[in-house]
Amino acid sequence: MWKVVVRGLLSHKVRLALTALSIVLGVGFVAGTFVLTDTINRTFVDLFTQTTKGIDVAVRTKQTFNGQNGQQRPPLPATVLDQVKAVPGVQVAEGSMFGYAQFIGKNGKPITPGGAPTIGVSVSESPKLQAGTLRQGKLPDGPGQVAMDAHTAEKHHFTVGDKVTILLQGPPQEFRITGTVGFGSADNLAGATLAAFDQETAKKVLNRKDSYDEIDVVAAPGVTPEQLRDRVAAAVGTDYQTLTGQELVEENVKSIGPFTKIIRNSLLVFAVVALFVGSFIIVNTFSIILAQRSRELALLRCVGASRRQVLGSVLAEALIIGLVAAMIGLGAGVLIAMGLHAVFSAVGANLPTTTLVVKPQTIIIGLVVGVVATLLASLIPAIRAVRVPPVNALQERVVTTRSQAGRLRISIGALATLAGVGLLLLGLFSDRGNLLLGLFRDGGNRLLNVGIGAAVIFLGVGILSPLVARPLARLLGWPFARWAGEPGRIARGNAMRSPRRTASTAAALMIGLALVSLVTIFAASIKASTTKILDESVAADYILTGPSSSAQGFSTEVVTRLAKQPEIASAAGVRFGVAKLDGADQQLAGIDPIAYNAAVRTETTAGRLSDLANGGLAVREDMANQHGWHVGDNVAFTFPVGGTAQVPIKAIYKDNQINGKILLSLANYERYYADQVDLIALVNAGPGVSAAASRAAVERVVADFPIVQVKDQAEYKEEQSSRINQLLVLFYLLLFLSVIIAFIGIINTLALSVMERIRELGLLRALGMTRAQLRAMIRWEAVIITVLGAVLGLVVGTFFGWTLVRALHSQGITTFRLPVGSLIVFVVLAAIAGVVAAIFPGIRAARIDILRAITTE
Amino acid sequence: MTSEATATVETALAARAVDVTKVYGKGETAVHAVDGISVDFPSQQLTAVMGPSGSGKSTLLHCLAGLDRVTSGEIWIGDIALSGLSERQLTLLRREHIGFVFQAFNLLPTLTAAENIELPLSIAGRKPDQAWYDTVIEAVGLRPRLRHRPAELSGGEQQRVAGARALVGRPTVIFADEPTGNLDSKSSTELLNFMRRSVDEFGQTVVMVTHDPNAAAYADRVVFLADGRIVDEMTEPTAEKVLDRMKSVGA
Repeated sequence: MWKVVVRGLLSHKVRLALTALSIVLGVGFVAGTFVLTDTINRTFVDLFTQTTKGIDVAVRTKQTFNGQNGQQRPPLPATVLDQVKAVPGVQVAEGSMFGYAQFIGKNGKPITPGGAPTIGVSVSESPKLQAGTLRQGKLPDGPGQVAMDAHTAEKHHFTVGDKVTILLQGPPQEFRITGTVGFGSADNLAGATLAAFDQETAKKVLNRKDSYDEIDVVAAPGVTPEQLRDRVAAAVGTDYQTLTGQELVEENVKSIGPFTKIIRNSLLVFAVVALFVGSFIIVNTFSIILAQRSRELALLRCVGASRRQVLGSVLAEALIIGLVAAMIGLGAGVLIAMGLHAVFSAVGANLPTTTLVVKPQTIIIGLVVGVVATLLASLIPAIRAVRVPPVNALQERVVTTRSQAGRLRISIGALATLAGVGLLLLGLFSDRGNLLLGLFRDGGNRLLNVGIGAAVIFLGVGILSPLVARPLARLLGWPFARWAGEPGRIARGNAMRSPRRTASTAAALMIGLALVSLVTIFAASIKASTTKILDESVAADYILTGPSSSAQGFSTEVVTRLAKQPEIASAAGVRFGVAKLDGADQQLAGIDPIAYNAAVRTETTAGRLSDLANGGLAVREDMANQHGWHVGDNVAFTFPVGGTAQVPIKAIYKDNQINGKILLSLANYERYYADQVDLIALVNAGPGVSAAASRAAVERVVADFPIVQVKDQAEYKEEQSSRINQLLVLFYLLLFLSVIIAFIGIINTLALSVMERIRELGLLRALGMTRAQLRAMIRWEAVIITVLGAVLGLVVGTFFGWTLVRALHSQGITTFRLPVGSLIVFVVLAAIAGVVAAIFPGIRAARIDILRAITTE
Repeated sequence: MTSEATATVETALAARAVDVTKVYGKGETAVHAVDGISVDFPSQQLTAVMGPSGSGKSTLLHCLAGLDRVTSGEIWIGDIALSGLSERQLTLLRREHIGFVFQAFNLLPTLTAAENIELPLSIAGRKPDQAWYDTVIEAVGLRPRLRHRPAELSGGEQQRVAGARALVGRPTVIFADEPTGNLDSKSSTELLNFMRRSVDEFGQTVVMVTHDPNAAAYADRVVFLADGRIVDEMTEPTAEKVLDRMKSVGA
């Protein structure tokens, strides 16, 4: 039997290679995802190890609040350092500081690394605690001196001796660069920019008065970090946290876990889609190949092979293909990991680079996934193939794959589609969706329901699609039959003749296009919703923000000075914070109620926003209802400064998609929060002031704050939409692989059809069809298939988009927008893809030997 | 080859082979499938080409029909010499000047009988001459079967559809390669009668390769091949005479 398997494989090299390619790409995507995220993890571990080098024990305050930039701890007083120094076994103890410091580039614009923080640090005086590696020059040791990370220096053309302006919590200051630093072999810390000052300067510029963010300790010889940790802990008391350097590294590594997990899971979603599409290709290719070999299989049965043996031989083929493809896919995974890395860099998310990490688990997962997907996908065609009665071997019969539009198909397809829709809707609209799938009750969540629902819909539509393939192909093929002459007519006939083949080829493309149109529709709807919200709720003429790619705030001085300009009617700064309500974190916004009311249209149902002028808070209607709050009630919040306080509710407002759940009066905010930074400022021009004049006034103030970006409403919308477009491009790139796999499937099907119809093609050539006409014939068939897939995809994608937008109505996506232009472009692109896919099969068809085609038995 | 025939070559010959050889392979393994054949096919005649298996009769037919290239010599279809034609020109020549009836698999399974009959014309982007089309359909007796697909037609019907297809474009010459090879005797008779009529009544030219003496008996002339050469000719053949000659040609 093995001989049969091997011969079978060898005799279909090209088609199997193309089939395997779809698995190669799918496995490659999966493996690439793991390689990439493992690599990112390793990079961070290396960096953390590097930055905590030399620290045996660290002391810091206990964690308090989740701020805008992650966990923030209040500094610890300098007296603690003295306590630590007195502990026996301490060789060196030093306070270190870190805070906000941002370089201004030579073009006058702040340097903002994509997403990564801009950090200012103090340089340890003891060489044992110096984590950085000096690359050039020397470390700073006096006022007005700074060391810069080597990456920023190189990228922005700074050299030792240059002057550089740095934005700080206070006013910007000018420094001289004394040196550049790296971290081991890395030029920066995971993409962050770094400004290093000596201790005294750091205290001033980082705004630390006799306090430190962390105390780092080196143990004396003979004292283990653990022993020292316990001694120090005993000395400083329970208000502070004491860890060994090792624990610090582990904690940091753990803290980036969620970040890489998000990347991994979102990439895996796309990888699974690619595998899913690849499985469709395998089902299709195996069906065709086995149908063509049905006589051969029947012959095997004739000479005494049992059904089980034949099935075994077919599945063994699938196993070998899956295994080989998975192994190649692992190699491809490394390339894909590099590609993904490039994609992320291209859209602005800088990831640190080191050598790629390929873990054994990646290899195992890749192999298992590839083999299982191939085996599962080949199971249906294999079972169908072994049903061939042995007598077929003896009959002279052309293979006809006319599928019966059976009731079974309709029922199963309809059932699957409905079940999928049900799951999708449950996932989107109900928290209890996963009750339906008890299996997933533990790890399951709404997203999983949505994903499974979508997959089941694809399966259902895939099962149903042969039923619509014939009429749809007739319809879509009409223009070709009408205007492309006989090749067009025959192409339409060929697309219609085996609906199952046409449908499953198109179905692979359908999946890709459904997802592409889904994200496109979703993005268009977000843009439309944003515009609508801005139009309806924001009255401000100018919107001021920090650097575009970070949640960095800016000095409250900006708003103070803007309010004084004669051309400006009002300026409202918005500060964000977190307070604890019943022990849970609750986001809130701190606002100047009068100015804010002028900038944002807020409809209240009780009280007025201006009632907050003397303190108190306003709460959104739904939250008030949920807690049974009324105007005049006092609510207990726990704030970073001052602990728990009773805050009176002064107003209740309707949701306008801007305000969030709680607005806290500025008076209260300033009392309860240590950092006073505006994240956004909304500016109204004075009545009768020209746009040019008010703009000039704003720019005049902002000139002193290079970090602040000024946008009018149109520019703001433009920026929002270009951000969405950037994400859209990322999604397109991630879905591209699935589309490519579907594309390979189309080539594969066409090539197989050419092989199968070799006699017909020979006949046509004999009867006077030119090679060009033959190629055109295959081309139009391909176009009919791809457009069919595209149309099905658009229908499914539009449905997905619509349900998703409906589900996220409460999240601010209030408008469903169908980007008709883009969707038409997709269909046109699909048609072009069809033309391209037909090139290779067309050439093969044109090259067939007429004589052999018409004389072979 | 009579002297009268050569005198009127320009008008009276539908197809002609001049000193044609066809060699497969090279060197010692070379096979001379056609080994220096010169033969004329006059217009408005039904010519049968006979010979045992491997005599080169099919190869000769393929070369004559522009499906295969000769190794040396020249083929003429009407007054067109085939050796100078490009691949595309050869295709167009087949489309315009040649009709085909093959032994099997003559029809596209996706097309109806009518569409199959019109196929060569629609490939060329032409419409059939309605009167002539009707004449042909009547002649093959397929009127009630026109909407059927090949799978729904009997073998004899399929071959008659192929015959109608060959005829409807009024080609210079129709080549039939063992057209009755897969048919029972009743269907064979129907098809051969049809081919006879297309020569006698419609003035067509047919060249038919066959190994069936009964089929050859329908021809005006029989050309006998053996080992890639013409070994004999016969006019006004009967089945018995052909059978006798076949025996002497000796397979």
